[in-house]
Amino acid sequence: MGWLAGIILLLIKLGVVLVVLLTAAAYLVYVERKLLSRLQIRLGPNRAGPFGLLQPLADALKLLTKEDLVPEGADRFIFLYAPGVVAASALLIFAVIPFGRGWMFMGHEIPMVVSDLNVGLLYVFAFSSLGVYGVALGGWASNSKYSLMGGIRGVAQMISYELSLGLSLVPVVMLARSFSLVDIVAAQAHYPFIVLQPVAFILFFISAGAEIKRIPFDIPEAENELVAGFHTEYSGMRFGLFFLGEYVTMVVLGSLVAVFFLGGWRGPLLPPLVWFSIKVLAVVLVLIWIRGTLPRLRYDQLMHLGWKVLIPLGLINIVVTGGVLLWWGS
Amino acid sequence: MPQLIIDRREIEVPAGTKVIEAAARLGIIIPRFCYHPALGSVGACRVCAVKFLEGPVKGVEMSCMTAAQDGMVVSTTHPEAMEFRRYVIEWLMLHHPHDCPVCDEGGHCLLQDETVSGGHGLRRYLGLKRTYRDQYLGAFVQHEMNRCIHCWRCRRFYQDFAGYRDYGVMQIGNRTYFGRFADGPLESPFAGNLIDLCPTGVLTDKPARFKGRRWDLERAPSLCLHCSLGCNITGSARYREMIRVEGRLNEAVNGYFICDRGRFGFAYANHPERARTPRLDGQEVTWEEACRTAAHRLTRISREYGPGAIAVWGSTRSSLATLGVLQRLCREQGWLGPQFFNSPSRERKVKAAISRLDAGVAVSLADLEKADFLLVAGADPVNEAPMLALGLRQAWRRGATVVVLDPRPVHLPLEFEHLPVPPGGIDLCLDLLVRAAVSHSATEGLLPEAAAAFFNNLSCEYPGDQPLQDRLVSLGMKLKESKNPVIVCGLDIVRESTVVLAADHSRLLRAAKDRAGLFYLLPGPNAFGAGLLSLAGEPSSPSYADMLAAAEQGRIKALVMMETDPFRTFAGQPQFLAALDRLEFLLVLDYLPTPLTDRVQFFLPTTTVFEEEPSGWVNQEGRCQQAAPIYVGGRPISQEGAGSHPPRVFLAGIPGGEPQPGGQTLAALGVALKGTGAPLYLEELDTWLAELNPVFAPLLESKVTHPGVRLLPEARGDYAFSHPNKATLRDVPDDHLELLLVDWTFGTEELSGYAPPTQEVEQPPRLTMQSRDALRLGLGPGDRVSLALGGESITLDLEIVENMASGMMVLPRHRQLAGQKFPEGPILVPLQNIHKV
Amino acid sequence: MPGEKNRLLRVTEGLVALIQGFWTTFIHLFRKPITEEYPEYKRPLPPRSRARIILTRDPDFEERCVACYLCSASCPVSCISMQSAERADGRRYAAWFRINFSRCIYCGLCEEACPTLAIQLTPDFETCQYDLLTLVAEKEDLLVDHGGKNQEYNYYRYAGVLVDGDKGGHIQEARPVNLKSNLP
Ligand code: SF4
Ligand code: SF4
Ligand code: SF4
Ligand code: SF4
Ligand code: FES
Repeated sequence: MGWLAGIILLLIKLGVVLVVLLTAAAYLVYVERKLLSRLQIRLGPNRAGPFGLLQPLADALKLLTKEDLVPEGADRFIFLYAPGVVAASALLIFAVIPFGRGWMFMGHEIPMVVSDLNVGLLYVFAFSSLGVYGVALGGWASNSKYSLMGGIRGVAQMISYELSLGLSLVPVVMLARSFSLVDIVAAQAHYPFIVLQPVAFILFFISAGAEIKRIPFDIPEAENELVAGFHTEYSGMRFGLFFLGEYVTMVVLGSLVAVFFLGGWRGPLLPPLVWFSIKVLAVVLVLIWIRGTLPRLRYDQLMHLGWKVLIPLGLINIVVTGGVLLWWGS
Repeated sequence: MPQLIIDRREIEVPAGTKVIEAAARLGIIIPRFCYHPALGSVGACRVCAVKFLEGPVKGVEMSCMTAAQDGMVVSTTHPEAMEFRRYVIEWLMLHHPHDCPVCDEGGHCLLQDETVSGGHGLRRYLGLKRTYRDQYLGAFVQHEMNRCIHCWRCRRFYQDFAGYRDYGVMQIGNRTYFGRFADGPLESPFAGNLIDLCPTGVLTDKPARFKGRRWDLERAPSLCLHCSLGCNITGSARYREMIRVEGRLNEAVNGYFICDRGRFGFAYANHPERARTPRLDGQEVTWEEACRTAAHRLTRISREYGPGAIAVWGSTRSSLATLGVLQRLCREQGWLGPQFFNSPSRERKVKAAISRLDAGVAVSLADLEKADFLLVAGADPVNEAPMLALGLRQAWRRGATVVVLDPRPVHLPLEFEHLPVPPGGIDLCLDLLVRAAVSHSATEGLLPEAAAAFFNNLSCEYPGDQPLQDRLVSLGMKLKESKNPVIVCGLDIVRESTVVLAADHSRLLRAAKDRAGLFYLLPGPNAFGAGLLSLAGEPSSPSYADMLAAAEQGRIKALVMMETDPFRTFAGQPQFLAALDRLEFLLVLDYLPTPLTDRVQFFLPTTTVFEEEPSGWVNQEGRCQQAAPIYVGGRPISQEGAGSHPPRVFLAGIPGGEPQPGGQTLAALGVALKGTGAPLYLEELDTWLAELNPVFAPLLESKVTHPGVRLLPEARGDYAFSHPNKATLRDVPDDHLELLLVDWTFGTEELSGYAPPTQEVEQPPRLTMQSRDALRLGLGPGDRVSLALGGESITLDLEIVENMASGMMVLPRHRQLAGQKFPEGPILVPLQNIHKV
Repeated sequence: MPGEKNRLLRVTEGLVALIQGFWTTFIHLFRKPITEEYPEYKRPLPPRSRARIILTRDPDFEERCVACYLCSASCPVSCISMQSAERADGRRYAAWFRINFSRCIYCGLCEEACPTLAIQLTPDFETCQYDLLTLVAEKEDLLVDHGGKNQEYNYYRYAGVLVDGDKGGHIQEARPVNLKSNLP
């Protein structure tokens, strides 16, 4: 019976997480558009529903009812499935993120995580790398020069920044002595890692920004050069999937920052889930703020930053952290 | 050969070449208004100024007036020259009206181009502008004199080059006026060239008035199909409609110019009544269905009555591809035909002419201009092939003697000797003239054996007519002195023997003088091609008349008519109508709205030379030229919208775009008949033609490029002279008049007969006879006469002239006349059949 | 070393600029948006704004357009088509004139090219339609009964061609040359 309950529980958790995540992503679009427009002294969406609150719904309807075009000469199969890869890999990362304290239900403890993998962090990296495939394949399969160039830029950028992303988290793992995200949160019981590892935090934040290809790192879709980069040829819900993937990644990124550096769901007074949400939201808002403020980097500046600044910094940080740990830890 | 340097590039040109021409050879186009390669230099406009830096001439000079000399160093871009030219343009523009938006020249205006490139943008002159009143110059040319820059091109062409005097120059200085003394249509049938020549908007194309700007036109190099000369044209179309035609340079054929029939006769392609959909039993059907059904019916008839029960007619106004595939289909299927000529004598004449042309004697129109003695036998150039008249004039301007042996009242824009002898007498005159010219060679034994034998056979008795004899003798002397004589022979009114004789005489002259030319006029733009196919098609196909007789007797059950109109061209029209009803299957393919297209149950539309596919045409000297397609066919937008804006609809196809090239349709029919084993009719056409008649072989070796490929055998030594009968001057009994059916520049030619502009200028048909005959019949000028002919009677105006043979009447094959009901061959009319009404 | 100092200075400057940027956008959050909300508030447009195209008339109330094809030639999207024709009195006019507004990019090149001031763009931009074909405007739809931005100009008063009267009657023209006399 135990395994059956486990499966049911898993399915319920999956369902809840999925619904919450998708709704969050959809409303994130709204929040972003609204906030962005205010940052630029505009009004933002205000026509669909009160304060434009129904805008995400209208957008979804529009995307769903639009014609699904496949360009002539495109690699049909890959073209059709590439957006799925992006959306799915973003969603799957959330499986290992703990978003609350375990919950006692009928004598069982239900962990507030879909799955507590002991290699959680590697899992996160694995799936965030998989996202590259969606970009590369979508760009290549479109049979369009803009898409192809967008795809190539995307691959180059994401592979470069994966390195610094990984390096920035090594000190965190060293501190927590575990790859499991649950354990990492547990390790921050006293103070969040942002206090101990401000450098790692900054490295992670920048690299993650580059990973999700947002301004100022949106070189793969740079509108004024590449139309829309790797997803130029996509329309309708397939474009919607790329779009969804981007915003889910934003939520995921917020969660990861919360888990790795802000103490996860931990916090005084308020229930863990609320703390978690606040932290995620804060990260997301900062991301939007960045988008509203910074201009896009040039390609060479991007590579320069990644390889010549972030990676050396990450290595130094590891060495220093290791040294300090050796000095103090034992 | 002077050597000079122009813009730092060296070039060597023949002595006498003008600097402007030398520069053109280097690809440097010096601005010009008055200079034209065909008209030469006058130095009227001063815009071709260049700077001569070194050499015999120094300073700023006119490049069109200065002959190239050794050691000249010329700069076309020297600041001094540029400034000079800029001022010249400003002067020329002083009086120019503010007209470009409403001027038809705008967009291809030399003055616009030079003004813009010269950098003159704003008017500084504040005085009053000189103005002129305009004139009505007929249906073809629009006059707007305010725009004139006094380059004199028009007058130089009209009077010097073309030889007509009714348009010219009046007044002096700044008031110089170009026009006629009084309003009225321009008399020259070459007046249309003024449109091409005038560098401004003074003389513009009236039928194309306001139809579109040059940049909106679809343009392609094409060919004129209105006579057998094959003049080169550039056709322009817009909105699925042929808009205008201009002359296109081909040094070997027409030079820069064309005649007005060729320029304004194109509108048959736009004819509103042109049938444009395949039709089957009165229903519009798809091409597949049409081909399938046609093949099915033809197969059935062939099975039931034998393939010989199917007869095929073609014509000389089809492209080489159409004619070739038609011939091949007939061969494969065993059908009767194809017969390309509407009368047996015409077919024999064409075959006689073509089989006697070879590369040794055949001359092009350009060669003909270099001849010094032109013997025109049985041809009326202005009416039959107008550009020939212009060619004759150029030869005459260079000092050639032109002699015309023709019964008709021939007019030519030059001074020529007209011997108005009856058709039967042309042979005699030819004999006598040539005999006089070569007798010395013959007596000195200088002629080869065959030529000498032919010489001895020639008639040598002068007719009793003393003045004629004197003229023949003196012309014979001139011919004797000439170095490069050319015999021009028309095919229309001459007896069959004359065609052969013209060839024989040219060979005889060649034997005596080393150089002599032969120039035939053939019936139809592709008569040469059709003739070559007919020559290869032994035994020759039965004539139209024989086939119709067989149809009436029920031996022929089906008739395929490819782009031919028996109503217009075939003399036995009543017989044709009677036979039509007895046919089981009549298939008509055409691009003209002939009387047949409405009558028949089974019709397939074909394209004109201007649409769809490139097509090959062989002109009368055996030159195969290619006409490029100008536009994709379809019903003109002006007709779709009935003059207003076109309908607002989205359509997959082009309305009225069904017609396809005749050869393509025939090939599809062939495939439908033969199934999968069918040959590639069109792709392998050239190979097949070359196997059929080796003369076609050049088509295989070279692509048909400018200026065309000549389909002529090499000159052979063993030319077979004929054995002529003793010729007499007159072969018509005294109590009869011979009726000659002839061509006119406008009104008789088939294609231009469907074009409104040429219809507008054609004159009503009239009967012409010599004053002596009129006196004999008691007729006077201005009378209307009725003419009874084999049951038919027609009434027309009478014209009495002096300069034609007596014993003759001349009647145009006018489209307004049911002349095709007349019998075939020499028509003898008893005097009592001609009445005054 | 001065170089080192420079670099430090640049980093600091960069950081300050970064903070300034973030501060500026942040302050924007509390400002009143400058957006004008279109269907509720319609801003009056300057007369030279480029939107719906009209064909104007000259002071004689004749159609100004002479169907010279210059606008259609200059149109970068080829959305103007027409057919010129001749009126009984010799005046050149457009038998039909069509602008496909679903293609027009309102660049104004046609207006610039027009030698008769016939074609003009107006500030009226509310021309959206659901059916593309209803955006195809014919001459009837384009022709207005005023002179638009210029009420005076009359091309035919300057042109050399004749529409009525005798030659030489237009602006800055001398009396026509008398061919039958040599007197000046
Ligand atoms: S002749 Fe040429 S320059 Fe003069 S109005 Fe016509 S187009 Fe313009
Ligand atoms: S009418 Fe034309 S060709 Fe004749 S002089 Fe004037 S500009 Fe030259
Ligand atoms: S505004 Fe521009 S695009 Fe529109 S019709 Fe005029 S030229 Fe064409
Ligand atoms: S440019 Fe002006 S005058 Fe010419 S066609 Fe266009 S609107 Fe008419
Ligand atoms: S072209 Fe030389 S003066 Fe006119």
